Amino acid sequence: MTKKLFNQIKNEWRSNLWLMAELLLVSVVMWFIVDYLYVQYSIYNQPRGFDTNHCYHIVMGTLLPSDADYNPSDTVQVNDVEELMDRLKRRPDIDAVSLSYVSFPYNTSNMWQPVTSGKLKRENVFAKNVTPGFFRVFEIKGARGESSDQLSKMLTGKVIMLSNDLYKDNYRVDMTSLIGRKFIAGGDSANISTLAAAYKPIRYSDYMEASESYSYIMPLSRTDISINMELCVRVKEGQDVDFSEKLWKDADKQLRVGNVYISDVESFSDIRKSFQQNDTNQTRNYIFGMGFLMLNIFLGLLGTFWFRTQQRRSELALFKALGATKGNVFVRQIVEGLLLLVIATIPAILIDANIAFAGLNQKMDGMTLTSGRFIITVLITWLLIAIMIVLGNWLPAKKAMGIQPARALHEE
Amino acid sequence: MNINYTKQVWAHLRQDPLISTISVLGTALSIFLIMLVVMLQQVNVAPYSPESNRNRFLHASYLSTASCQDENQSTNNGPMSEQATKELYSSLKTPEIVTVYAFLCRPSVLSVSNAVSFVAQTKQTDDDFWRVFDFDFVNGKPYDKAAFKAGQHVVVVDENVARKLYGDINVSGKDISLNHAPYKIVGVVKNVSTLASKAYGEIWIPYTATNLVSRSSGAQGLLSVTILAHHRTDFPAIVSEVNQRLTQYNKKLKEQNIRILSRNRPYDQEKESINYSSNEEPDVTGMHRRQIVMIAILLLVPAINLSSMTQSRLRKRIAEIGVRRAFGCTRMELLWNILMENLATSLIAGVLGLILCVIFSFLFSDLIFAQPFSSGTLTVNASMLLQPSTFALAFIFCFVLNLISSLIPAWRASHGNIVNALGGKTR
Repeated sequence: MTKKLFNQIKNEWRSNLWLMAELLLVSVVMWFIVDYLYVQYSIYNQPRGFDTNHCYHIVMGTLLPSDADYNPSDTVQVNDVEELMDRLKRRPDIDAVSLSYVSFPYNTSNMWQPVTSGKLKRENVFAKNVTPGFFRVFEIKGARGESSDQLSKMLTGKVIMLSNDLYKDNYRVDMTSLIGRKFIAGGDSANISTLAAAYKPIRYSDYMEASESYSYIMPLSRTDISINMELCVRVKEGQDVDFSEKLWKDADKQLRVGNVYISDVESFSDIRKSFQQNDTNQTRNYIFGMGFLMLNIFLGLLGTFWFRTQQRRSELALFKALGATKGNVFVRQIVEGLLLLVIATIPAILIDANIAFAGLNQKMDGMTLTSGRFIITVLITWLLIAIMIVLGNWLPAKKAMGIQPARALHEE
Repeated sequence: MNINYTKQVWAHLRQDPLISTISVLGTALSIFLIMLVVMLQQVNVAPYSPESNRNRFLHASYLSTASCQDENQSTNNGPMSEQATKELYSSLKTPEIVTVYAFLCRPSVLSVSNAVSFVAQTKQTDDDFWRVFDFDFVNGKPYDKAAFKAGQHVVVVDENVARKLYGDINVSGKDISLNHAPYKIVGVVKNVSTLASKAYGEIWIPYTATNLVSRSSGAQGLLSVTILAHHRTDFPAIVSEVNQRLTQYNKKLKEQNIRILSRNRPYDQEKESINYSSNEEPDVTGMHRRQIVMIAILLLVPAINLSSMTQSRLRKRIAEIGVRRAFGCTRMELLWNILMENLATSLIAGVLGLILCVIFSFLFSDLIFAQPFSSGTLTVNASMLLQPSTFALAFIFCFVLNLISSLIPAWRASHGNIVNALGGKTR
């Protein structure tokens, strides 16, 4: 049957050319989109190393000397901020409180430093300066199975904690094996810290891979504490329905310490949404594009084969008169569409491979062309288009099935 | 002739309803998505209140500095100090007005006497801000130069905030507490969409009323600048004037071992609309390239579809075409005729697509127009989405789609052999 179909396709090459051109173009663009979505989805599902559910960022403000309520004797802001943290900790709905500098996940600001120890060196490591509560607020876990609580207790004195994979790709060494070793973070070689623990890698955001998010954690120095630090809290499970409203009611009275006040409460779901809007928009655009291409394949197949069924009325009647069942007619027509796709897919794969080879598509693990990923994305693309071909061909094939040989041949 | 066309088009549409539906849907879908791409760009670039002068804007949101000696040394990127805005922009001669304002909206705690307080996004500005951006005042007026210079505690609020505070919009002259300090409302403006990102705020105060200016070091601070030119043609003159200032300012900064990198600032509205990070210049050419590829795909794929369908449809009419040719219709006439017939269908479909696009944009404005790194309420209205250019572009895309989809079939149908055509054969 396939051979006959090939002949048929060859004989109608002129009208098939349109269809093939469309299938080829759609196939390549579809693959590009499928590949992008595949990468985004895979990265999204990798472990993040942190959890921002039930977390909130509390923005602080301070009165100005010109303000009526200003207390001129209240000059040490550290005390006010620490008192505010204590008051928050005592609230029944709050689980943990932390203070940090450009450290919380989905941050629009960041700081990079080199981290070195003897021969080991990595540039551009995200610096996180935090109070011990940070591990508990964002549920950061140790690489040797330490709980957030245990990690937060280890963050005292001249210590540093490192992402477990920090030197893995270059030196093939896990940080857990280097605990107790001296490290220098930043340019100052006199500033030496002891590695207290290694933690499971923290990604920068949902769409950034661990290999782009190397980080270290050091204690936030008390002298750096001010209202410009990030005050974050984790709310107990089941308590965050109206957490902001409840906190806000007390903000004016219980939560004003000296000249320091609370000026805003942001939930991390909002922070995350706003930070990743570009990725979300891009994904949305691609999904729209994919829907568009699939609909077009559907419409194109529907139109082309609708005409063909009309044209081939007598041939189909003859086919049936010679003993073909309704099922034969239906399958033949569907297979014709799929065969066209197979033929168009061959050059499409070549083009896809060239695009990936040239590195024009999305990177994952620093690569654009890996065999596993390529095969999976090509297959998904083929399947998606095939589904649309079958759907688009359904109605014309049904019509072809219903042709009455006697009547059609009589008309002839 | 006109009636004839309409009748003809209608007759063709009805002849094969399935094929007509497919053609109309295919075209409408294409125009729908193309117009979405256009509108996505428009909300960021097209003029509408309070950013009606976008065509004449130049923005300098950030400033980048490096140390004087090392070329490859790390750079410092962010908004500017007041000193830097003065040295580089405030006293420029060529522009009409230059406004200086806080780069980011900050949350402020608002309350009246004993009511529960709430947070409003606050933009800190100078007085020229109100001349560069055309806000719609429903009550009172903006703060003036004297109030700005004196750092008076005055505030302009939007209708929404006015209602939350006093349940009314006629509130100018009333007192409120802003971040626990007393302020006086001087004006009320219509709510501003977050899409007008430079003008956006829920309340506006003079930046001299807070400690904003003091939070700076050297050239870096928390301020940004928008320049309003007399005309777009002045842009090159303004840029060269800025560059002169930059050279002079860099001489002064040399003592501090700091050098400002220009990164070709200031940017026009289009470039600024994709200016997400302070440490690199936005790639407008790249954006254009992506847009062109996107629109090309959105046009080409349905065009191939439509083309193959037009071809089949014309094949059915081959005898009719033969008769017309035999009675003296020239090839060009016939070609033109077929193109026009198809254009009529395309236009009907195009209108459908555009209507769908507008409805969709209003219903799902959050999904479609959400901008990165912005919070607050996103609203869209007719004046933002329905620019004169929207209709012109929709028509042009319809025309182009029609041309690429029916030119080849029409050419082939009209240039066939008359005898063959009369016999119902395609060749």
